[in-house]
Amino acid sequence: MAIHGNRQGAMSQQLLLALAEQLKLPLLQIARQAELGQPSDLPAVQATAESALKLIDSYLLGVRLSTEGQTALALEPVSVSSVLYDVATDLTAAAQFYGVQLDLKVAGRYGPVLANRQALKSALTSLGMALIESLPALDAKRLSLDLAAHKCRYGIVAGIYSDSVKMRSVPLADGRRLMGQSRQPLHDISGQSAAGIFVADQLFSAMQLKLQSSKFQNLHGLAAVLPVSPQLSLI
Amino acid sequence: MRILLIEPDKILASTYKRALVLAGHQVTMCAGAQAAIIAADQTQPDVVVLELQLPGHSGIEFLHEFRSYSDWSKVPVIVQSMVPAGEFAASWPLLSGRLGVTEYLYKPLTSLQRLTQSVAAA
Repeated sequence: MAIHGNRQGAMSQQLLLALAEQLKLPLLQIARQAELGQPSDLPAVQATAESALKLIDSYLLGVRLSTEGQTALALEPVSVSSVLYDVATDLTAAAQFYGVQLDLKVAGRYGPVLANRQALKSALTSLGMALIESLPALDAKRLSLDLAAHKCRYGIVAGIYSDSVKMRSVPLADGRRLMGQSRQPLHDISGQSAAGIFVADQLFSAMQLKLQSSKFQNLHGLAAVLPVSPQLSLI
Repeated sequence: MRILLIEPDKILASTYKRALVLAGHQVTMCAGAQAAIIAADQTQPDVVVLELQLPGHSGIEFLHEFRSYSDWSKVPVIVQSMVPAGEFAASWPLLSGRLGVTEYLYKPLTSLQRLTQSVAAA
């Protein structure tokens, strides 16, 4: 028990380090844009600050859910497509400033899944923001991300996909191991600490879900499988 | 001067570019090491401003390749990075020696004014 607690404490500290490293970027963007002092930069400054605030909130939610466990995790019937729509709305401003096109692809009509709506939305938003920031640096031909949901044999897969972010399971596992210890734990994806991806990882984990590499319509991405509840399907 | 700016973050790159253009320079932006080698070939930069933390190939890998071409062996390279200088203490002899880095700037503490001064002095 004590060993488990120590491991969780160490993981939490590594995530905090990754977050601190990541937050240098929006603060630096704001500082330099303020130095240029052009009013036309204000919308970008606002979008940057709001994205950073959302990342902090997501981190705090992840910590709360991880420490308080099931008592804080109020599960409810959640429509995946509606969560993806909200996430796309939240990411739109940042995506515009990074020149990334966001598309929503929900392949079919799905019944609700049992999840924590806020945690699911926060996880996908953190993940999306991390990928939006990374995509232009990957020499991608097409700056485009798909927020997608599709069915698999285990449930509904919800995630974010691209033809450039070629995430595989091994680099993702290595990244989890290096998180907080390396400045670029996911070095094929991000020049930063990729804290948004690890915050999403923590939130999925708190919901007993797992962020994993995924393929959809020849696109690569990061996604989680959300189990469908047969009882909720009747609602 | 012709500046090759290698900066993975699009918003920061655009801000640095505007500051350097206002200071009278021509700036080519690249987000990654491979694109930067192609851009260097096309634009023949007078100065390179480089972030070492890049996705895929690192800034160090870029420097090794860049310096392997005789045309670019003397082009000043200013490293401007998110990594504090202290962490590079061990590799500074390599960076400043064989790889020809002329100056190291810690990005969070480097104003646009300081960057343009360093570029002008390079």
